[in-house]
Amino acid sequence: MSFLQAILDGLLIGGVYAVISIGLTLVYGVMGIVNFAQAEFLTIGMFVAWFAWAFLGLDPVLAAPLSFAVAFAIGWVVQGQLIARVLSAPSVAQIFLTVGVLIVIENGSLLLFGSQFRSVTTSYQTMSLSLGALFVSVPYLIAFSMSLACGIALWWFMRASWFGRAMRATAQNPSAARLMGIDTELMYKIAFALGVGLTAFGGAVILPYVTVFPGVGGQFVVLMFTVVVLGGLGSVAGAVVGGLAVGVIQALSSLFFPIQLQNLVLFIVFILVLAVRPQGLIGASR
Amino acid sequence: MSNNKSLGLAHLNRRAMLSGTAAALAAPYIVASARAEAPPVNVGVILPLSGPNAQFGINSRNGIELIADEINTAGGIAELGGAKINLVMADATSTPTTAGTVAQRLITQQDMTAVLGAFASSLTIAISEVTERRDIPLLTMSFADQITGRGFKNIFQVVAKASVIGKAQFEYTAAIAQAAGAKIEKIAIMYEDTAYGTAQANGLRAGAKAANVEVVMDDAYPLGITDTTPLINKLRGSGAQAVFPVSYLNDSLLIIRTMRQQKLTIPAIGGAAGYVIPDFEKGLGEFAENVLSIDTSNYDLAPELTERFRKRFGYFMVHEALEHAVCLEVLVQAIKKAKSAKAEAVTAALRGAKFTGGWINGMTGGAVAFDQTGLNVLSVPLMVQWRGKDIVTVWPKDIAKSAPVWRS
Repeated sequence: MSFLQAILDGLLIGGVYAVISIGLTLVYGVMGIVNFAQAEFLTIGMFVAWFAWAFLGLDPVLAAPLSFAVAFAIGWVVQGQLIARVLSAPSVAQIFLTVGVLIVIENGSLLLFGSQFRSVTTSYQTMSLSLGALFVSVPYLIAFSMSLACGIALWWFMRASWFGRAMRATAQNPSAARLMGIDTELMYKIAFALGVGLTAFGGAVILPYVTVFPGVGGQFVVLMFTVVVLGGLGSVAGAVVGGLAVGVIQALSSLFFPIQLQNLVLFIVFILVLAVRPQGLIGASR
Repeated sequence: MSNNKSLGLAHLNRRAMLSGTAAALAAPYIVASARAEAPPVNVGVILPLSGPNAQFGINSRNGIELIADEINTAGGIAELGGAKINLVMADATSTPTTAGTVAQRLITQQDMTAVLGAFASSLTIAISEVTERRDIPLLTMSFADQITGRGFKNIFQVVAKASVIGKAQFEYTAAIAQAAGAKIEKIAIMYEDTAYGTAQANGLRAGAKAANVEVVMDDAYPLGITDTTPLINKLRGSGAQAVFPVSYLNDSLLIIRTMRQQKLTIPAIGGAAGYVIPDFEKGLGEFAENVLSIDTSNYDLAPELTERFRKRFGYFMVHEALEHAVCLEVLVQAIKKAKSAKAEAVTAALRGAKFTGGWINGMTGGAVAFDQTGLNVLSVPLMVQWRGKDIVTVWPKDIAKSAPVWRS
């Protein structure tokens, strides 16, 4: 029973890992840039949702679209004004730029909001559903469902909408895409803004069970990279598989080992997977 | 190479000369101002002002600033010609290595009479390595046994040691349960794995062993944990009648919330830190009611002092604020006694001495007396319980302000 419970908890947590990591893989997949500042947009999303809760009385889950919108706008500007300049620069320049953005956002939020923890109080925070002998945590379930909905919306956008097709075309071959009349600059802006927006969305939905402070992104950044590399860098489906896998591995490991070794077990599995399949669980098919 | 060096020296000489001239020109003014005002006493304050422990750092800073301002507006330290206290703040972050570096920088840049800090034991231990080398007294309210257990000459711990606190956390709980007609036979311990949690868990284990109580769960978890579900799953399966979590803020909220989700209603007896600050109640609302926690001091034991804090900052004087205020009070008394702001003189005045009065009245034991290791031997832990938006001292009986509520 505890085994089933662990798998269930792992899947619920993993769904959220997936949605915050999709953004990272999307940006890499379309633009070939590794955005080290990605986790900071999680922090931004959480802060937006917190302020919406504190001043507008909005439930963080309902504030998630607002978090998405704010991060989308910031992402649009960051891409247009900063990232666009280093798209064809050496990758060292790209790394420095995104790390710089990371430092600016983290310290900017420290200046603006101070370093204290902010947590929300919601009615469902301490509720759970009983499934036989299994407990389904309501905040985890809500976060998972929101992530799932968000993932499906993204999948539809990428598959069925003109913008999605144009974005995939840009990822495949930017020159050919331009020849077909696609504004690749615009596509890059949408891809980046969408990517950071998704991460911010994930930040808002986890707010009922994670307190926000300027350094909170740092607690997730390594996990995010693990998720996308495990799944296959650049692959959206890979991020989903990777996210669920990371959640389940963490939960199962705590059944057999002390919880402190959770990430040790995770990284041993991670190294083994990469040794056998360097391209990740789902190949890097963009 | 040698050329460069001589260039550097020439540069230095020129600069030294310039500043020498400037000093000579300014000398009359310096003398004039010295007559009007004694040189300030520099007190380094190193606290976690960012990272996972920031909230506690801010609380501690508020406590120190309150009493420093009170002393300064009352005319400074009379024994030193009305010298003002000059607090030099530094952010230790929540990482021990950074705390050490920050301490090093602070001490190198300015002459310090003493250093106060740094709430979290692991940070205090890192800072104490630096202050010990430089022979500067470090006054702290951190808990870990290691702090005064290393034979350092320049460290002073105003509260009981973590092992004593942990033991009291168990023994007081057993006594409270017994008074309510309940008997505890199985307990669970969970603690964050830094110096503080580890040391306090040792005390809990010792207490349980002495009372022949079975520890059915004994788990450490990392600081900054974001999912406590596995811990609570394990707790639910363990059959414990009471749980003793030793945690900072974020983990304490997660633990209590997840327990409620899983409909676990066994009493949780916190290990101070995250369980005794207003944010705990803010984060949990009604679920905070009647949560017990061990503590090293509580504001309701000296309301005439601690209300000054509430008036200025708008929330009750949390124990880290009160104890940091006591650190500064003790320091100032030592400076007065030594009639000097020199670090060595102050250390000598602190060692083996007993201090009373002022903010020290807020401590259990009513006085602060350091033994040869620098530990305050008079401090006794106490048990508090949440009542609405306040925490009330409920144990030991002789100082309790209200009777404990036990629901098993």
